[in-house]
Amino acid sequence: MATREWNPLDFDIGEEEDEEGTPSPSSISPPLQYFDRDRHVAFLEMMYNLMPHHYQSQEINRLTLAFFTISGLHLLRALDRVDKDRVADWVLSFQAHPRSRAELKIGQFYGFHGSRTSQFPPDENGVSARNAGHLASTYCALAILKTVGFNLLTIDKESILISLRNLQQPDGSFMPVDVGAETDLRFVYCAAAICFMLEDWSGMDREKAKEYILKCQSYDGGFGLMPGLESHGGGTYCAVASLRLMGYIEDDLLSKTVTSSIINVPLLLDWCMQRQAIDGGFQGRANKPSDTCYAFWIGAVLRILGGYKFIDKIALHRFLLTCQSEFGGFSKYPRDLPDIYHAYYGYTAFSLLEEPGLNPLCAELGMTDLTAIGII
Amino acid sequence: MDSREDDGGEPLSRMAEWRDVTPLPQDDGPNPVVPIAYKEEFRETMDYFRAIYKADERSPRALRLTRRAIHLNPGNYTVWHFRRLVLEALNADLDEELDFLQRIANSNSKNYQLWHHRRWVVERLGANARAKELNLIKKILSIDAKNYHAWSHRQWVLQALGGWEDELDYCQQLLEEDIFNNSAWNQRYFVVTRSPYLGGLKAMRASEVRYTVEAILANPNNECPWRYLQGLYKDDIKALVNDPEISSVCLKVINTKNNYVFALKMLLDLLCHGFQPCHEFRDSVVALRTSDTDPLGPDLSMAICDILEHVDSLRASYWIWRKNKLSVAAV
Repeated sequence: MATREWNPLDFDIGEEEDEEGTPSPSSISPPLQYFDRDRHVAFLEMMYNLMPHHYQSQEINRLTLAFFTISGLHLLRALDRVDKDRVADWVLSFQAHPRSRAELKIGQFYGFHGSRTSQFPPDENGVSARNAGHLASTYCALAILKTVGFNLLTIDKESILISLRNLQQPDGSFMPVDVGAETDLRFVYCAAAICFMLEDWSGMDREKAKEYILKCQSYDGGFGLMPGLESHGGGTYCAVASLRLMGYIEDDLLSKTVTSSIINVPLLLDWCMQRQAIDGGFQGRANKPSDTCYAFWIGAVLRILGGYKFIDKIALHRFLLTCQSEFGGFSKYPRDLPDIYHAYYGYTAFSLLEEPGLNPLCAELGMTDLTAIGII
Repeated sequence: MDSREDDGGEPLSRMAEWRDVTPLPQDDGPNPVVPIAYKEEFRETMDYFRAIYKADERSPRALRLTRRAIHLNPGNYTVWHFRRLVLEALNADLDEELDFLQRIANSNSKNYQLWHHRRWVVERLGANARAKELNLIKKILSIDAKNYHAWSHRQWVLQALGGWEDELDYCQQLLEEDIFNNSAWNQRYFVVTRSPYLGGLKAMRASEVRYTVEAILANPNNECPWRYLQGLYKDDIKALVNDPEISSVCLKVINTKNNYVFALKMLLDLLCHGFQPCHEFRDSVVALRTSDTDPLGPDLSMAICDILEHVDSLRASYWIWRKNKLSVAAV
């Protein structure tokens, strides 16, 4: 099992490395010929109750693992399997709170902790000592809360939004934590999704973020994670979804008669279309193998642009089924072992394909379209 | 990497060195969601880490403990952050730290924290670390030539510390090894557009076009050089349309009647931007007509879309849409 991170935005830029104790892929039966919803529900229920030990190296991303599980169950229309109040309480327990308003300006970020590593019981004044809020965890926390129907307007959003500004860099990008880390498009996306869900854009300088995103569009039309880097499915998703959430591009751009846009749309569309490979799956970069998760990262971009209708859905469907596991879930490559990350993006991909029995997807938030199903 | 390389992997609770420390267990609350079935070694290491971290103990044993914790939990940014605090407090040898990082990278180089930490160390070592960095990245790329983290670090080193002089040759070498490696094409573009020694894109354009055309003729079904070719004319589409080298490579490939999809795509783009084709282009495209394509109409762009709809059938809907857009534009 992989030892890499599973932030929702880690796009899996690595190969999996097997650890001892995992069954070898050769022992796996031939793929099923249909999307086996019940098996997937069972897979997620198992994760909800206890994740196997090889997820321990992902402990820092507990909220992300929870997001995949709970949002996954929602996509599968099986949210009745979880205790919504219990989930909401648990998620809220990760929120970092400042001692005072003044603390919000001194550089720390008061979002949600990624895990309990640095979260200690509150002191006698009821204040938690060390703060380690993370942008991806905060995005996941808010997404889970929305999914279980918690009213986000009741949380202390001021702390999140004021301190969010501490993470934006002079070039417009975002750092994920206040103690220093890499800055790239993943965290611009997290910041945009957080502001969008909180319905308040005071947390970021949108113009600066936009400028940064535009610098990431590569000569071939896709977006790299940072200016100068190779076009990548995950980076492209972060760029386009952020621009959509921030209101810089319209939904279904391709159907509009006006052709001018702040990004090169024809080149972007052509790059995305070229990512569907001969085996029917989507690759994240040119001349790389197809991988389950890019059926979402690229598929969602195409959905936002209004170009999803151009892909070969039958071929994609066929490819994805070869990655469906007999244990439930999906693997990265065909006939391999499943993991929660590829399982989740498999479900989102099937939702984009309008698989019967699945909830519709909000492409730019990467979760069930709550408006479409009448929750908000 | 093996956590045992330092201390034999003995449980911390049995080591004299840790006798004075009371481990601080993880408080997962009354109703945890997605609890993880931690192994004992993981649980114990993190419990000790929490205790040391909370006490803010910046000591040699704390440094060793972070090493253990990183081995088990390489994505944990809090552990990495604390390690940096300890390194600073101890005024530790940063070259040794680079060696430590290299050993981790050898077993798992796909980790954002690892590379961020490396960058932190290199920033402190300054330009002296440049050669070592560029060599280390070469080693990692020799195992996985498309490692995104390694490329990202390489671009940072070049921009922060320099070392551009040999970079074009390095790209050349990687492309000779694998002409389908898009990461190497991207790096080539990065160097050509940003190196302080090459004079910029315009100065390099003619020689780069020659190189790329050769690569195309050797493998016309390779997407990368076609994209690169277009990139060489970024923001100057007129020059692309007017460069006879470009239309001519399209024609050459189309005339082979093999692997011509990207050539047709490029020709279509040229036509959309005002390229005036001579009869030869039309004749070559017509010659591609197969029995299952309808008779080709008078418009060359539409004829190309018709052919692509059949030979690039995975994207048939896209080519039909492109064709419809042409007719809208014509009206």
